[in-house]
Amino acid sequence: MRTTLGGLVVAIVSVTGILLGAQSEPPAVNPLAGNADAIQTGMGLFRSRCADCHGMDARGVRGPDLTQVWASGRSDAGLFRTLRRGVAGTEMPSVGPRTPDDEVWKILAYLKTIAAPTTSDVEVGNASNGERVFRAQCAGCHTVNGTGGRLGPDLSRIGSARARGAIVRRVRGATEDFLEGYQPVIITLKNGQTVRGVRKNGDLFSVQIMDGRERIQGYLKSDVREVADGKASAMPVFGTERLNESDLNDLLAYLSTLKGFDPSVR
Amino acid sequence: MRSTFARLILLLLVAGGVTLAGQQAQPPGPVTNQDLIDGLKADGSSWLTFGGNYANHRYSPLTQITPENVSKLQPVWTFQTGTLGNFETTTLVRDNVLYATGPQNVAWAVDARSGRQIWRYRRELPDNLTACCGLVNRGFAALGDRLFMTTLDAHLLALDMKTGNVVWDATLGDYQTGYASTLAPLVVKDKVIVGVAGGEYGIRGFIDAYDARTGKQAWRFYTIPGPGEPGFNSWAGESWKIGGTGVWVTGAYDAEQNAIFFGTGNPGPDYHSGSREGDNLYSCSLVVLDADTGKLKWHYQFTPHDVHDYDSTEVPILADLTINGQPRKTVMFANRNGFYYTLDRVTGRVIVAKPFVQTTWAKAVDAQGRPMLEAGHTPDEKGERTCPDLTGGTNFWPPSYDPRSRLFFVNAREACATFYGYKPEYVAGQRFTGGAQQLVQNRDEKPFGALRALDPATGERKWEFLMPTPSRSGILTTASNLLFSGDGDGNLLALDSRTGKLLWRYQMGSTLHGTSPVTYMLDGRQHLLVPAGTTLTAWTLPDTAAASTR
Repeated sequence: MRTTLGGLVVAIVSVTGILLGAQSEPPAVNPLAGNADAIQTGMGLFRSRCADCHGMDARGVRGPDLTQVWASGRSDAGLFRTLRRGVAGTEMPSVGPRTPDDEVWKILAYLKTIAAPTTSDVEVGNASNGERVFRAQCAGCHTVNGTGGRLGPDLSRIGSARARGAIVRRVRGATEDFLEGYQPVIITLKNGQTVRGVRKNGDLFSVQIMDGRERIQGYLKSDVREVADGKASAMPVFGTERLNESDLNDLLAYLSTLKGFDPSVR
Repeated sequence: MRSTFARLILLLLVAGGVTLAGQQAQPPGPVTNQDLIDGLKADGSSWLTFGGNYANHRYSPLTQITPENVSKLQPVWTFQTGTLGNFETTTLVRDNVLYATGPQNVAWAVDARSGRQIWRYRRELPDNLTACCGLVNRGFAALGDRLFMTTLDAHLLALDMKTGNVVWDATLGDYQTGYASTLAPLVVKDKVIVGVAGGEYGIRGFIDAYDARTGKQAWRFYTIPGPGEPGFNSWAGESWKIGGTGVWVTGAYDAEQNAIFFGTGNPGPDYHSGSREGDNLYSCSLVVLDADTGKLKWHYQFTPHDVHDYDSTEVPILADLTINGQPRKTVMFANRNGFYYTLDRVTGRVIVAKPFVQTTWAKAVDAQGRPMLEAGHTPDEKGERTCPDLTGGTNFWPPSYDPRSRLFFVNAREACATFYGYKPEYVAGQRFTGGAQQLVQNRDEKPFGALRALDPATGERKWEFLMPTPSRSGILTTASNLLFSGDGDGNLLALDSRTGKLLWRYQMGSTLHGTSPVTYMLDGRQHLLVPAGTTLTAWTLPDTAAASTR
């Protein structure tokens, strides 16, 4: 029974792999690692296809900082799968069926030359106290592994998605930019009431939001008095009086364990 | 037919024309050269060329739909392609049938009354295509009882208009070395004129003409000169062989001069200046060729030695204007580099050259028409910030010209980017760009769109319609002061072309990406036909002043 099921799974994966133009099981190690030509081509591919979101230096713009991926324990094969498939539930697309495997390896060969070999993040802190801190201070707006609030982004894979420094900056209140889908918006209704929330989508004539009570709703601009961009993030600032250094370290230790459900995150 | 009598009745019926409710008495014959020269006729029965007429005005004489009644437009039907990818086409119309090319070189003949397919053409495309920017096609051309279409594997096809069957198939170039073709062909007299894409793949670009009847090549004009030809010295070393300079948007035809006007693409590698020192003729230019021989009459280079991928593959519009009290024959060109130009279309002299969006790489041209470069805008490893970004102040989506109001309409983009450049290696069939851009978009500054009306005699802006997301939609104008276009968020828009005031809108669910609406009369009623995403939708007024024959 188990063998038959296993065989069926392998068959399905193989067929899917053939249909995707990919191998069913990628090599464990990048076959083009260290190859000067591959790195040169990979640089061009990275800059034209990845840098818009991840930055020319791979330190993250709209997308995460990639310089810590190997240091945080990701494998070549896992990263290959992430590029081939994209990341479900995020803006990270798949490279697409018309991109051959060797182009993916070239991108990774280049990325390795600008990434950190070992982590510069020093792990300190007590992760289980960090989980307690998270439940008390963050879970009202953030979901982890199915539990928590919805106003802010789901953090189930934040340990893979963001380096420590980026998380600290957000928590301490230095929001450089608003994430797509989380820009603050204030709608003033015709009766003068205001609705505050985060903007999910919109155009010249309408806006779609989630409000502070987690209600999702669309509004026609012609039916309301005003739609204004909020200046301040919906996320509060957690200064040291609200979250001391010790609790912050514990929180970060907990967050670094959150790698999500994606099986390719290995 | 048994009896002579019955045969005679049939003959009389056919000769007299069988009139069914709402149909014309006699179907039109094959498409003639005169039909193409006539452009959009007052009876609204056809749309036979990419630009509506040879001057590319995209301006219809029809007036049944007006600013007062446009908000009453209702959908008649929707056609869906069932094919992955988006329309970038301009739909042709003839004898109540619509002809549209779509993604992946699928194409359809659709009944304009019901939106039902009459035939479909599908091409077996090879796997390793080198199409940089989507498996797109911008439209058919027509002559006789044939349609002409370019393909992603760099072929030119003639299809039977009634069946969609291939009549002949000509090879333009080798798709494995970077060639593709995506533009709507231009039929001039007995020839079908096309160009090739591949500016990001190190091709040597060209414009070709093929005999419409046989498919034999009639002439070729290389957009990069060869050894000994004028302009050859504008490419350092061997860079001319892989200098890009594709031609992937349809041009205009001036019958009086018997000349065709085409915009040319970027030199390659796109961003690395050092790989190709020199002006790089005739990249980023308007080339004007004799339609019979393909010989160059004159050229004007909008962006010498371009390093920002500012392809001049925008749609040229021809018009007779009055400038400083004098009648002038002009060609009007809103360029990707952010400048709007009015040139004398006989001599090539610059009449107007003025930015229509923010530009930082150059802000003016000199007395000879050469842009005066601002310092600090050559892409390098560190990156330099320039406006407009590589997608440009405008691009392949067609503009429109209203010859009564004498206004030029263009969907403009305000966007800036940081450009990077480095020395690339050329490998046949692989991207050869030598750099990339990073768009400037953050809380304080991001791209936005503006549909702008310009006075072509001066380049002055008359009005603009702002959009939070830049639009890639083409534009249609009509003699009843209407302008139809799309914004960057999927809204189909009707504006008053005199003021830019919004009159009507509809959320299509997909942008009009490089397509523009067309309009025609069908059974006495004016229709608007809108390609957007994977759909064609026809619109008309609920009842009309002009009674149909039903």
